[in-house]
Amino acid sequence: MKIGLRLFLSSAAFSLVIALVYGFTTHDPTGTVLLGVMTFAMTFAAWYMIVAEREADIWGDAAGATMREAAGESIGIYTTRSVLPICLAVSVALIAVGLIVSATLIAIGITALLVLLGLLISGSR
Amino acid sequence: MSVLRAEPEGAEPRERFDALSWLTTTDHKRIGILYVCTSLFYLCVAGGIAILIRTQLSRPENTFVGAHAYNQLFTLHGTAMIFLMVTPFAFGLANFLIPLQIGAPDMAFPRLNALSFWLFLCGGLVVFSGVLTSGGAAAAGWTAYAPLSVLRVAGGSGQDLWIVGVLMVSIATILTSINFITTVFIYRAPGMTMWRIPIFTWEMVATSLLVLVAFPSLTADLAMLLIDRHLGGHFFDPAGGGNPILYQHLFWFFGHPEVYVMILPYFGVISEIVPVFSRKPIFGYTGLVLAAFAIAGLSMGVWAHHMFTTGAVSNPFFSAVSFLIAVPTGIKFFNWIGTMWGGSISFETPMLFSIGFLINFLIGGITGVMLASPPIDFDAHDSYFVVAHMHYVLGGGSLFAIFAAMFFWWPKMFGVKLDEVLGRWTFWLMLVGFNVTFFPMHLLGLAGMPRRVFTYPDAGPLPLLNAISSSGSYLMLVAIVIFAINVVVTARRRVPVPADPWRANSLEWATSSPPPEYNFLKIPPIRSERPVFDARHPELAAETAR
Repeated sequence: MKIGLRLFLSSAAFSLVIALVYGFTTHDPTGTVLLGVMTFAMTFAAWYMIVAEREADIWGDAAGATMREAAGESIGIYTTRSVLPICLAVSVALIAVGLIVSATLIAIGITALLVLLGLLISGSR
Repeated sequence: MSVLRAEPEGAEPRERFDALSWLTTTDHKRIGILYVCTSLFYLCVAGGIAILIRTQLSRPENTFVGAHAYNQLFTLHGTAMIFLMVTPFAFGLANFLIPLQIGAPDMAFPRLNALSFWLFLCGGLVVFSGVLTSGGAAAAGWTAYAPLSVLRVAGGSGQDLWIVGVLMVSIATILTSINFITTVFIYRAPGMTMWRIPIFTWEMVATSLLVLVAFPSLTADLAMLLIDRHLGGHFFDPAGGGNPILYQHLFWFFGHPEVYVMILPYFGVISEIVPVFSRKPIFGYTGLVLAAFAIAGLSMGVWAHHMFTTGAVSNPFFSAVSFLIAVPTGIKFFNWIGTMWGGSISFETPMLFSIGFLINFLIGGITGVMLASPPIDFDAHDSYFVVAHMHYVLGGGSLFAIFAAMFFWWPKMFGVKLDEVLGRWTFWLMLVGFNVTFFPMHLLGLAGMPRRVFTYPDAGPLPLLNAISSSGSYLMLVAIVIFAINVVVTARRRVPVPADPWRANSLEWATSSPPPEYNFLKIPPIRSERPVFDARHPELAAETAR
């Protein structure tokens, strides 16, 4: 995790330097804002890693660890199938095409999307 | 880790094809294969369009296709190659390989992974559905520059479908990148520290970071374009006080990093293949990783070198940063040559394509440095010189690496090895065909032929150079057909391969070919970036430990 954190922090520092150099040398607001947003995004990601992952137990970071040491309790069998992704994607496609072609498609797409999101939420409880 | 059923290592799966299981799968390997097959389908479509384009340009003042049809053809060709082929193939490969290379049972978010694939597939179909509309498909080029694309007469519904289709693909790409980064940071097997993960996985981390910062700009740009076209917006319409240059800024803030999104994964492919066929460890592992991030970082500061001729950007700033990118790229070349140096090189098809990549990408890189110089760019801008440069980078570079990857990882994906003789035919025809097609385009550009014109006068060197270029494209078509024959022949022969047919190094070769649903029955101890080599040669493992 330390390397991941360093990655985001160094990216944030780099984009801050580029944004400052770019802003002062070109006086172009568009590019400066874009680079500023990039700096913010990288800083936010680094902050998230510091705060949310502080307690993370990453066995991959332990250079001498073995599978036996890392094995925890059995989490059982999980399925490698779900109809939700393909149905969600088709619903989004219906809404997208509906924006251009017909309001009916948008209505069908939104209805399907809401039903699928309901199923997703109820299934995750 | 989930265990659904155990198969002995090297077992040949004899499952019946079950379409529903593929439609509903969340298994990263199957999703990876779906990505690869879909992107190969789009390669065939975009390649077919390219043949139509070259046929039109094979003779001066040709009338094989009209001007509007030609505009649609080059728009769909560029869109398919960039958004639906080169990037998704890399993402498919990464989907298949990353969990295997880091010793994980699956991606961090399997259902999000499946959703990303289906969004990408649907987005591509929406883009192409424009051909069914009365005005035809989008015709404003893959860049869809404003104000042309703002005009509702430009492409009609086809242009709108292009915008929403590419939006969907863009969102799918962002979601997949989040999945890749999370998987690599969190799901590594015990002992698989970040400095032991394979170079391909490192390159995908750099690529995913690039996607996260670059693609939102495209998403915003396309949403603004849609607002301009349908909701009375004037972001890019000068008549309403908008600014078309804003479109270009937003587009190229995505567009130039996208070039590296399309090449960094393939740097990773080459970095995996070259050591295996040189029978040496990779030379300069750390340097290769740092060079990838240097390229990724610098690529975020070069977007406006596509806009030198607008007169609205700082040419010295963008020229200087563009030149700088050549340094980490040169480091990578140095490392690949250093890996081969003194090695026991064998020239199987993956290695041949890797060497082809090095040659072609070098030419594309050199012309890239030339175009980073504003005086040269002012002369060559929007000419066939730029078309040649772009194709040497993405065709000669990425496409050759795609074939190298297919020949190298095909046994791992499908449990059979592609035929070597047919593979060599594919390589040589592709190498000759590619250079015959695209090298004359440098000369065409220098002779003044602009890009995106559907015909040209019968004057000067243009007819001869165009005829040579078109003949090369037909050679490439033959190469692709031979590859398709190879796929069919090897699928019918169905000779099973062992887990590690190449005597390779990284962790994916520790499991059977193809891998079982749960990926690994047993993971060897990971004490370096070459755990499979260490398991094969325990007497040398202590020396290579990192």
